[in-house]
Amino acid sequence: MPSQPHGAAFGAVGDVSPDAVAASLGRNDGGFGRAQETYFDHPVLHKAHWGWEIVGYFFAGGMAAASAALATLADAAGDPRDGALVRNGRYTALAGAAVSGVLLIADLGRPERFIAMMRIFKLKSPMSVGVYAFSAFSATAGLAALEQARADGTIARNPLGWIPKGPRVAVHALSAALMATYTGVLVAATAIPVWYRGRRHLPAIFALSAASTGCALQNGLLALGAGSPATSRKLEVIETVAAAAEGLLLLDYERTAGVPGKALFGGARGRRLKRMTLGLGLAVPALLALPGLFGRHPKRGRRLRGLVTAACALSGGYVLRESVVHAGRDSADDPRAYLQHPV
Amino acid sequence: MRLLYEGLTSVTCVSRRRRGYKYPPVRSDTGFFTDVTLCIGCKACEVACKQWNQLPADGYTFSAESYDNTGRLSATTWRHVAFVEQADRIEPAASRWMMMSDVCKHCTYAGCMEACPTGAIVRNEFGDVYVQPDVCNGCGYCVPSCPFGVVAVEPKEGVAQKCTLCYDRQKDGMEPACAKACPTDAITFGPVDELRANAQRRVEKLLAEGREASLYGIDGEETRETGPLNAFFLLPDRPEVFNLPPHPVLPSRFQPAAYSSALVAATALAVLGVAVFRGLREGA
Ligand code: SF4
Ligand code: SF4
Repeated sequence: MPSQPHGAAFGAVGDVSPDAVAASLGRNDGGFGRAQETYFDHPVLHKAHWGWEIVGYFFAGGMAAASAALATLADAAGDPRDGALVRNGRYTALAGAAVSGVLLIADLGRPERFIAMMRIFKLKSPMSVGVYAFSAFSATAGLAALEQARADGTIARNPLGWIPKGPRVAVHALSAALMATYTGVLVAATAIPVWYRGRRHLPAIFALSAASTGCALQNGLLALGAGSPATSRKLEVIETVAAAAEGLLLLDYERTAGVPGKALFGGARGRRLKRMTLGLGLAVPALLALPGLFGRHPKRGRRLRGLVTAACALSGGYVLRESVVHAGRDSADDPRAYLQHPV
Repeated sequence: MRLLYEGLTSVTCVSRRRRGYKYPPVRSDTGFFTDVTLCIGCKACEVACKQWNQLPADGYTFSAESYDNTGRLSATTWRHVAFVEQADRIEPAASRWMMMSDVCKHCTYAGCMEACPTGAIVRNEFGDVYVQPDVCNGCGYCVPSCPFGVVAVEPKEGVAQKCTLCYDRQKDGMEPACAKACPTDAITFGPVDELRANAQRRVEKLLAEGREASLYGIDGEETRETGPLNAFFLLPDRPEVFNLPPHPVLPSRFQPAAYSSALVAATALAVLGVAVFRGLREGA
């Protein structure tokens, strides 16, 4: 039963054009049922149930990982002026891991459900990889914090001090790198169009965002305490480079994501993402940091600048995670994104 | 990167395609053949499934679209009859009314199974994809990983649920409840190779009568990533008309690109960090 071209049937319905009939029925098939594109626009895919807990987990986990990495790098370089960063970094990494754990369990509902994840290790499942990365990260963050507490004299003796430093730091650094990136792999390796379109971008964007928010957080903490300007300068360099790369990658993601990318970059969500993440979260901190990169920071206002930068960058980082998670919901609900735009 | 990833996954227990795992002699696989041209839309399958599997009602929502008020497959609806109305205003005789009973496809390469971190989703002795409810922890990662939008997490119990292909009935040598209840044999159950042969004959017959018919889930474009589907369909129109994806994706195929992106970013950041902390350290 070949369908007829529109023109051939015009006479049959008198004055009313097939398109008008179709329009009155809310269809775009010119009166031909045969041109249906979906089933009443019902979603084809099921969306992830992820809510604010997972958004918060992505955000806090990334920041904790970056804080740990910064503390590790600073410690390895051995500049005595960076002592405050090493201490803050180690403690915030542990705090961030704790917050992340609470959020994960809040999402799962019961603590023993987290343990159930550890009955097997499955490289094929990014969720399984992530659970082990998170566990290794939390454990080593605890060890690093213990070490710091001993160095600070908060505790007299480190009960786990016998664990050799080399392997501990190596595991800590690797698991931090995974923590900052695996969430990007987690969302990209699904059947949700807006996410898998970002498979080359999202893991890197999440890592860079972890770096920029982590630097901003540490800078804010240094501004509150008695951090050395030299440390702040290092953090600002890293933050600015990471922010620039993140902004470019976000724009490239938008360019390559095509129509399915509209769920993230189109409409109100896209405008908010650009305003809050590209503008407030990336551009504002970079501009504030710029004079300092050339060694021309005014002496006054360092504390205020650190706090403003941290507030801007953190809001931007949170909005990024939230937009990506929410865009996944809309993308799953849009049958056309999946049916009409093969990978 | 890809090679490294493939190498690593092949030593863990997971991908059988990539290891060339000789997966069940097709004989032992059971499945469904759902023939849309025979379905009369009585929804006996939906009801029988709910009854046998003791699935709760979904409430009384009125879609105002068609006789389909169920909408789609969910954690508590494992068979769903779609009512596709093709009212042709221009050539009324060409109008069609098609009913399609949708179900979990029991994919050869199942996205849900690959994604599950607890190993709750297994392939049972009948070659069907089964969620073990006592192992599932409700993480929900299988849900966006199913390329057909089938599996879902039941909010009350917090475990993932979908068609079990009546695992319990099969163990007792009975056919699944939906196939048993179907009055027109639009749903048939049996060994997949037999069903495929029947389906082939049926398509040939329909085509000889000048009707439109094609098989979805045996060897077409749609099986490129998921492999053949143990529950496959005879469709009188394009798959998207029934909300079946013409190109379902197997999500794990995005992992090499995603892990590469992660590796590049993490390495670049590490190099940057070392350069900054060493380059700007005191006395450097
Ligand atoms: S259709 Fe979805 S739920 Fe069913 S086996 Fe395939 S991937 Fe799993
Ligand atoms: S919800 Fe259950 S079945 Fe689905 S991926 Fe998580 S543990 Fe596996």
